[in-house]
Amino acid sequence: MPLELYIMLAAVMFSIGLYGLATQRNGVKLMMCVELMLNSANINLVAFSAYQPNVSGQVFALFSIALAAAEAGIGLAILITLYRLYGTIDLDNINALRW
Amino acid sequence: MTLYADYAYLIVGLPVLAFILTIFFGWHLPRGGGFLTVLATFAGFIISAGIFTEIFPEKVVHQSMHWFATLNVGILIDPLALVMLLMVTFVCTLIHTYALGYMNGDPGMARYFAEAGLFTAAMLGLVYSDNLLQLFIFWELVGLCSYLLIGFWYRKPSAASAAKKAFLTTRVGDVMFLAGIILLYNNMAKLGLPEGTYLLQFPVIYENLTRIDPTQLTLVSLLLLGGAAGKSGQFPLDIWLPDAMEGPTTVSAMIHAATMVTAGVYLVARMFPLFYAAPYGLLAVAYVGGFTALYAATMGLAAFDIKRVLAFSTVSQLGYMMLALGVGSVVGAAAVGVSMFHLIGHSFFKALLFLCAGSVIHAVATNDLREMGGVGRYMRWTAGTMAIGGLALAGFPGTTGFFSKDEILVTAWEYGAMTHDYLPYIFGIVGALLTAFYTFRMWFLTFTGEPRSDYHKHESPWIMLGPLVILALFALFFGMPAQEGFYETVGNNFAHYGVDFEELAPIGGHVVEHGGEEAAVHEPFIIKILPILVGVGGIILALLFYSPWKKLDIRKFVGEKDLLRTILVKRYYQHEIFTAWFAETVVYGISLIANIFDIRIVDGVLNKISETTLGFANSIRRAQTGVIQNYITALVFGIVVLVIVIKLAMEVGL
Repeated sequence: MPLELYIMLAAVMFSIGLYGLATQRNGVKLMMCVELMLNSANINLVAFSAYQPNVSGQVFALFSIALAAAEAGIGLAILITLYRLYGTIDLDNINALRW
Repeated sequence: MTLYADYAYLIVGLPVLAFILTIFFGWHLPRGGGFLTVLATFAGFIISAGIFTEIFPEKVVHQSMHWFATLNVGILIDPLALVMLLMVTFVCTLIHTYALGYMNGDPGMARYFAEAGLFTAAMLGLVYSDNLLQLFIFWELVGLCSYLLIGFWYRKPSAASAAKKAFLTTRVGDVMFLAGIILLYNNMAKLGLPEGTYLLQFPVIYENLTRIDPTQLTLVSLLLLGGAAGKSGQFPLDIWLPDAMEGPTTVSAMIHAATMVTAGVYLVARMFPLFYAAPYGLLAVAYVGGFTALYAATMGLAAFDIKRVLAFSTVSQLGYMMLALGVGSVVGAAAVGVSMFHLIGHSFFKALLFLCAGSVIHAVATNDLREMGGVGRYMRWTAGTMAIGGLALAGFPGTTGFFSKDEILVTAWEYGAMTHDYLPYIFGIVGALLTAFYTFRMWFLTFTGEPRSDYHKHESPWIMLGPLVILALFALFFGMPAQEGFYETVGNNFAHYGVDFEELAPIGGHVVEHGGEEAAVHEPFIIKILPILVGVGGIILALLFYSPWKKLDIRKFVGEKDLLRTILVKRYYQHEIFTAWFAETVVYGISLIANIFDIRIVDGVLNKISETTLGFANSIRRAQTGVIQNYITALVFGIVVLVIVIKLAMEVGL
C-alpha cells in the first residue's frame, strides 16, 4: 500500500478533529476531537517509520499515546468537576473568567 | 618603610567609621559614643601631623585611581590642603571633646556625635580631594550634615526652618558651582588632551589654564565664586548663617570655625590660578569679600543674641579672607598664604569664642545679651578665655588675629596703590574698627555690670574648659611664630604644579614681589599702624559705651526706635526682600508658569499617550472572547494564511 494513503487518512482524521474542535461546545466531544488529531499524528509517525526501516517513529507514537492517555485522564477529571459545579459541560455556559 | 602618607585615606575613613558605629550603637555607649568621634578625629590629626613631618616643606602627596570616563578619585595633599587638614582635625577634636560635656544629657546625643563625625569626615574629604568633582561630592555632603545639625533640635519649628533655609540658600550657590564645574569640564574636554588624562584633576586644570578661552574662564570663575559665596555666607547669600544659630552651639562652632564656611574660601584658594587667569575673576572676589566684611560687621553692631553677634563676625571675617584672595590680582600667589593664614587663625579664635558663648549659654540658659550681665564674676575661666578670643578677633597687637588681619589690610592697601582702587581697603579698615567695637560690646554686656536676670550661676566643667584654654593659647600665640613660614609655604603652594603667575597674568594684573625689599610699593607709616589704631580704637569705643565705667550713653546717639538701629536689627531687610518680595513675587510667578507647563505640556503629553493606548486596548479587547473555539478558528486561519504566504514567497523565489 502506498504511503500516500496513510497520509491522506491522517489528514482527513486531523481535519475532522480540527473541525470538531472549532464547532463543538460539549467538553467531552472536544476531548474526543483532540484524540482524533493526536491519533492522526500517530498514524503518520508509524507509517513513516514502517516505510523507512527505523523504529524511532513507532517509539514516538507510543510516547504520544501514553501522553494522550494521561491528558484524557486529567481532562475528564476537570470535566467531571465542572459538571458538579455548573450542572452542565457546555463550555459556553462556563464563563466565570470571561469579561 | 611605612609612611604616614600611606594612611592618608584613614583621615576620612576613621570619622566615617565612627559615624557608622555611633549611629547604630551610639545609644548603648556612655555619652552617646562621642569618644569614638573624638578619637577618630584625633587620629586624623596624628596622621596629618605625620604627613606634615614627611612632606614639609617641598613634597606633595598624590594618590589617584581611575573612576569612570575621564574622571578619577584621589587624594592630593599639598601645603594648602595640609594646613587645612591640620586645622580641621585639631579644632574639631577640641570641639568634639567640648561637646562631650556640652551635649551631655541630651537625648539625641548619639545622633549628634554621628552627624558631627560625618560632618568632620566630609570636610576633610573636601580638603584633600584631588579633583573638582570629588570636591563637589564632599561639598554636598558638608551641606547635608550642616542641614542635619542646624536642625538638630528638629521639634523646634525655628530650628527646622533655619535648617531648611541654610540648605536652600547654599543650594543656590551649589547649583552655580555645579554649572561652573560642567562648563570647566566642557572647556577642558575641548582641548584635546591625551587619552587617559583626568580632566577635572587639579594639577591638570592648573597646567591647561592658559589654553582656555579667557571669557569662558571668567564665567567659570564667577560661577565658582557663587558656590563659594553660598557656602561661606558672602553677600548676597549670607542670610542663612545668622539663622544657623538654631543648632547646638558646638555645631555653630564647627560650622563657623573649622568646616562648612571655610569650604568656600578654600575653594577659591584651591582654584586660585583659575581666578587669577580669569579677567575680573579676582576683582569680583575682592568686591564681594570686601563689601561683605563691612556689611556683616554693621549688622553685628545691633544684634542682641550672643551667638548672632558671632555669626555676623564670621560672615565679616570670611569677607576678609575673600578680600585677601581678591587682592591677589596684584600680589600673586602670596595672597593665598595671607588668606589661609587668616582662615587658620580665625578658626582658632572663632571656635574659642563660640565655645565660650556655649559655656555662657550652658550656665545662664539664654542667648540674649540683655538678660546676661555680670556673668564674669561666676565664670572666670570662660570670661578670661573669651576676652582672649575677643582680642584676637578685634586684632589686638600680638594676638593671632592681629598678624593675619594686619597682613590682609596691608595687602589690600598695596592693591589700592597699584590699581588706584582703594575701595576694598576702605571696606576692610572700617570693618576692622566695627569688629573691635561689636566684639567688646558683646563681651562687656555679657560679663560685666550687674546681672540683668535671675540666671543660674556656675562655671562649666573641665571637659568644656580644657578645650577653651588650649584654643585660647593658640589664639594668643599662634600668630607670631607661624607667620613667616606660613606665607612662604602656602604662598608657594602652586609652585609644586609649575603654575607660572606671570604667564597667567590677567588684564591689568601685576605680580609684586611680596614682603621683600624690592617691593614695588612703599607703604607709608600710617598704613602700618592704622590696623592697630582701629583695633584698639574699637575696643576703647566699646569701653566708653558699654563697660561699667562707661562715659557715654549709646542712646544719646542712636535711639531705640531710630531708623538706623531698626535697619541694622532687621538686617537691612534682606530676609524680607528675599522671602516676601523675591520668593513671593518673582519665584512664585515663575513657578506658576512652570506649573502650567508641567500640567499642560509634560503631564499632558504623558496623559495623551496613555489615553491613546487605553482607547486602542478598549477597542480590541472584545477579540478576547474566552471561547476556545474562536481561538482555534483564528489559529487555523492564521496557519492557512501563513502557509499560503510562505508558498507564494517560495514560488517567487525569495
